[in-house]
Amino acid sequence: MIEFHNLKKSFSGREVLKGITFTIGEGEIIFVLGTSGTGKSVLLKNLVGLLQPDSGEIYIDGERVDGKSEEEYLPVRRKCGMVFQHPALFDSMTVFENVAFGLRKHFNLPEDEVVKRVHESLALVRLENVDQKMPQELSYGMQKRVSLARTVAIRPKILLFDEPTTGLDPITTNAVNKLIYDLSRELNVTSVVVSHDMHCALDIADRIIVLDQGLVVAQGTPSEMKNSAVPLVVDFLAEVDSAY
Amino acid sequence: MDFSSKFCRPQRRSFERELVFEQIWKVTQQSALTTALAGFFVGAVMTVQFTMQLKQFGALAYLGGLSTSATIREIGPLLIAFMLSGKVGAFTSAELGTMRVTEQIDAIRCLGANPIQEIILPRFFGIVVSSFFLLAIGLFMSIFGGLFLGVFFAGINPDEYLRYVPVVVKWPSLLIGLFKCFVFAFLLATICTYKGYTTTGGAVGVGRSVVNTAVATMVSIVVFDWVSSVFAETAAIIYLAW
Repeated sequence: MIEFHNLKKSFSGREVLKGITFTIGEGEIIFVLGTSGTGKSVLLKNLVGLLQPDSGEIYIDGERVDGKSEEEYLPVRRKCGMVFQHPALFDSMTVFENVAFGLRKHFNLPEDEVVKRVHESLALVRLENVDQKMPQELSYGMQKRVSLARTVAIRPKILLFDEPTTGLDPITTNAVNKLIYDLSRELNVTSVVVSHDMHCALDIADRIIVLDQGLVVAQGTPSEMKNSAVPLVVDFLAEVDSAY
Repeated sequence: MDFSSKFCRPQRRSFERELVFEQIWKVTQQSALTTALAGFFVGAVMTVQFTMQLKQFGALAYLGGLSTSATIREIGPLLIAFMLSGKVGAFTSAELGTMRVTEQIDAIRCLGANPIQEIILPRFFGIVVSSFFLLAIGLFMSIFGGLFLGVFFAGINPDEYLRYVPVVVKWPSLLIGLFKCFVFAFLLATICTYKGYTTTGGAVGVGRSVVNTAVATMVSIVVFDWVSSVFAETAAIIYLAW
């Protein structure tokens, strides 16, 4: 469903992605793990056209999507909903308007359909009676869930999560991780989660891909990862063992 | 229901007018009182300065004309534009910079909108239009401030103060003042939206953008003021010679 072929990206002469190649199947939950600065977020941003790769190819459902113009990216962005590291909610809009934003921009829906879809999306992320609140009236964890509701409202086939649990307490982290799993299964979508949370990846991922210094150094199912001899994977697993 | 095929919006709409009106209202509402107050005191300061000079030559009758002319052509637009660059420019730059570093601008793109149409153009036109009106309000208040101080500080009666205003302040002076207001508003809107939109580097980057906006706006306003003054004086000399 999603294919990366020899993807390279540099910033000011520093090569962040040095030739990434892997594929993601339909309906999979994929965790992309790696230490900070290894290009995990850059990879997601290349997929939705927020950044353009220097070289390499990206395919979604067999269609090449890199190198398109902003206008040509619209269908790709309808297909790929992205949840950002920050909640990225629009401060001047209510929760309702935030969730409705993508629906109104991407689609020509009647207003009653927009209202219905917004309430359904908020219910999916277990939020009720918050639609008339402003984002700043909500806790950080709730803002993250509104952000998730805004993304699922457009019914994407692919959900992209950029470090969804950064800055959250352990309880909210577990709740968000469970939400990612439930949503992926309920909506039958493909999910790509960029994270450094190996514990969560072992729990809910179908496959894990580990990046180090701009290259894929390991990939496999959680059980394959547990037996990996790759030093970075061993370090991640040791962290999990020491934390639990 | 297949959303993508049934309801998908084929083309983006051009930027929406209500967003521009919203910005005009927001900026005007935020700054009208401050601008009016600043304008009043700019006129008052000019009157105090001219009073001291003109008294020496027994030419206090010209106070209203000279003070109003200098305020409208030169000092009024300049000082009020400085104040707006500190208030509107810094606010807009910080707002856009924060939207950039907290990924709101990326979110707008991912949600099917164009950030230029959605947040930049409405702010740009909103600032140009409202700053022009604010500068015009400021200029009006500066005339009122000059008159007020002329009456209470220099002891001139209002009729005497206003008698030489139409003699000294001709249409070209008013047009030059309004033209400067428009260009200062344009410079302010261009610089603050550009600096805010291109912010990088987290909270430090937002701070840097705000400082750069203030410096770039003030320098460009002073430079343009000098250029336009030279141009206006040259045009006046040519007109008089002709």
